[in-house]
Amino acid sequence: MKNIIIIVFTILAITSCKDDDDVKVGSVNLNFNNSIENTSIIMNNTSYTNKSGETYTISQLKYIISNIVFIKANGEEFKYPTEKSYFLINEEVAESKTIELNTISEGEYTKIRFGIGVDQSKYPLHRTNNFIPTAQENEMLWSWSAGYIFLKFEGGYSVGGQENTDFKIHIGSHGTTLDNYKEVILDLPNTLNIKENATSRVVINADIAKIFDSVNTHSLSIKSDIQVDPENAPKIAENSATMFSAASINE
Amino acid sequence: MELRILVYIISLLFWTSCSSEKEDYVPITENAKLEFTVPANFPEPSYNVTLNPPTEKGFELGKKLFYDGRLASDGVISCGFCHIQDFAFTHHTHIVSHGVNGALGTRNAQPLHNMAFMKEFTWDGAAIHLDLQPIIPITAEVEMNETFTGIIKKLEEQPEYVKLFAEAFEDQKINSDNMLKAISQFMIMMISANTKYDKVERNEGSVFTEQESAGLELFKSKCASCHQGTLFTDQSYRNNGLPIDPEYNDVGRKRVTGLEEDIYKFKVPSLRNIELTFPYMHDGRLKTLEDVLNHYSDGMVDSRTLDPIFKSQNNIKGIPMTTEEKQLIIAFLKTLTDDDFLNDDRFSEF
Ligand code: HEC
Ligand code: HEC
Repeated sequence: MKNIIIIVFTILAITSCKDDDDVKVGSVNLNFNNSIENTSIIMNNTSYTNKSGETYTISQLKYIISNIVFIKANGEEFKYPTEKSYFLINEEVAESKTIELNTISEGEYTKIRFGIGVDQSKYPLHRTNNFIPTAQENEMLWSWSAGYIFLKFEGGYSVGGQENTDFKIHIGSHGTTLDNYKEVILDLPNTLNIKENATSRVVINADIAKIFDSVNTHSLSIKSDIQVDPENAPKIAENSATMFSAASINE
Repeated sequence: MELRILVYIISLLFWTSCSSEKEDYVPITENAKLEFTVPANFPEPSYNVTLNPPTEKGFELGKKLFYDGRLASDGVISCGFCHIQDFAFTHHTHIVSHGVNGALGTRNAQPLHNMAFMKEFTWDGAAIHLDLQPIIPITAEVEMNETFTGIIKKLEEQPEYVKLFAEAFEDQKINSDNMLKAISQFMIMMISANTKYDKVERNEGSVFTEQESAGLELFKSKCASCHQGTLFTDQSYRNNGLPIDPEYNDVGRKRVTGLEEDIYKFKVPSLRNIELTFPYMHDGRLKTLEDVLNHYSDGMVDSRTLDPIFKSQNNIKGIPMTTEEKQLIIAFLKTLTDDDFLNDDRFSEF
């Protein structure tokens, strides 16, 4: 009898915390690499030039990544549990640039999809509000409005060697009138093979220069303070949705 | 005998093996659902009650949080400090709200009633869901000036809260999602629907006086296009011609949308319990209902976004009314006072 108890004990201890005993799961680390011209960005001290001929330095770069989904070649999707799927990438904090995802179903995935910002159309599902403390600590809440800043990009710029001026770009949704939440789908460079007890690493490049220059071109001389700006904010949001690419996979 | 022990061990394991909580194990007690009843003369609620069904414990927790200064950095300013029940949950005598350390806000505290029926919140619609609304006062420097992390830590230190959260929510956790859900449960139960007006509308035996009836007719023709329906608001944002106060230069709805066309527009407020929610307007600039009606008849200032309703062909701004008509409208507005709501113990601090 004692033996039975011990066996039951062990079995329970091993299995009781898994949602589904049949599905085998592995892990992925997503490494976000904020870069310009294929080189990781350096804050404050390095100058970059945009297509409008303005040189700029970066003092702050933060964005929210959410709703991560892994997609197989046949279109089958593995949705990372939405309530655990909100992350803040802060260039200044090295650990924040690695998103550790566990309990991903075994399989071969060819694409990844994620959101930039918080999808308010699904609100109040998925316990999104548990992301508030993180967002508040990282100053990613508007102060006058009850919502998130999806992308915060700040620094200084100058034109033709003139004096440096600050720029400030804060993108989020504008109440219900303008939703700046964007989703991106990236092709993975090769198949991501999720295996039990293994952790793969996917490097995702964010080409920060595209915030200014992509589908739209934004000149800071025209507007250097973009916060609740119904004209420029959607353009920047569109641009930033094009900045990501999956660079490499290590298993 | 041994089998019983085995069963016991198994169930114990099931109970405990998955919890990673700091809190001690709390037994789940019966948590009865509360009846959320839509008054017969009300529209369907905007709040999706099925996603956060009010329960006895959730409501109790929400009420405790609402009246708890721990939600503010100074430990004093609770939601109930600015939203006082006797005045339909407004900040009586304060033109603009007062927050931590006497910091002054720029707007008049709004009444809290029938929140479940509203689509957006605050004077400019800065919150698109009731669960999100408390983020604004909690984080605002001039209101409660606190962090969610700080509040959660304070609550975790209080055994009563550990117990209440565990009883109110299935996952038993103290976190911001549960905290906001509890506060919403308290607020959606705050329904004010027992005024004389309601009793007349629902044929419950009340009758208007001659004055009140005459006032209602005037109200229908002059005011109800904006202060519409049973809730006395069409929930739109409009400019009702208040002169710009240079001290605040409050741009209103534009702050949320960024749109030039929304400048100086504010949400059409519900007029329920209006007798008690003075001072009036988004910045509390008008002291009495007489002042309000004088504003509509004579005080209006033109601007690009002034509501077209107030512009007549012969260039007169506003709604022409005689002194007598104003008195009749006020008599009618006083039928919107709900004593049952104002004295309802369920919502009182003590
Ligand atoms: C310092 C005073 C103050 C405190 C404290 C305060 N409020 Fe308010 N409340 C206000 C003011 C002022 C407004 C109008 C805000 C605006 O339009 O910007 C308001 C608006 C609201 C609204 C919107 C009502 C509507 O009709 O749209 C709700 C709901 C609300 N408060 C709930 C709360 C809750 C819950 C708390 C506690 C977490 C709280 N308030 C704390 C002053 C306060
Ligand atoms: C064009 C739409 C419109 C019409 C018509 C209108 N109102 Fe208003 N009313 C508003 C708006 C918008 C506000 C809030 C303005 C602000 O605070 O800036 C308001 C505010 C008020 C307030 C203050 C409420 C509070 O909580 O502070 C009262 C009282 C009021 N109106 C009564 C009336 C009466 C009585 C009439 C008819 C004589 C009327 N209104 C006609 C749009 C309208």
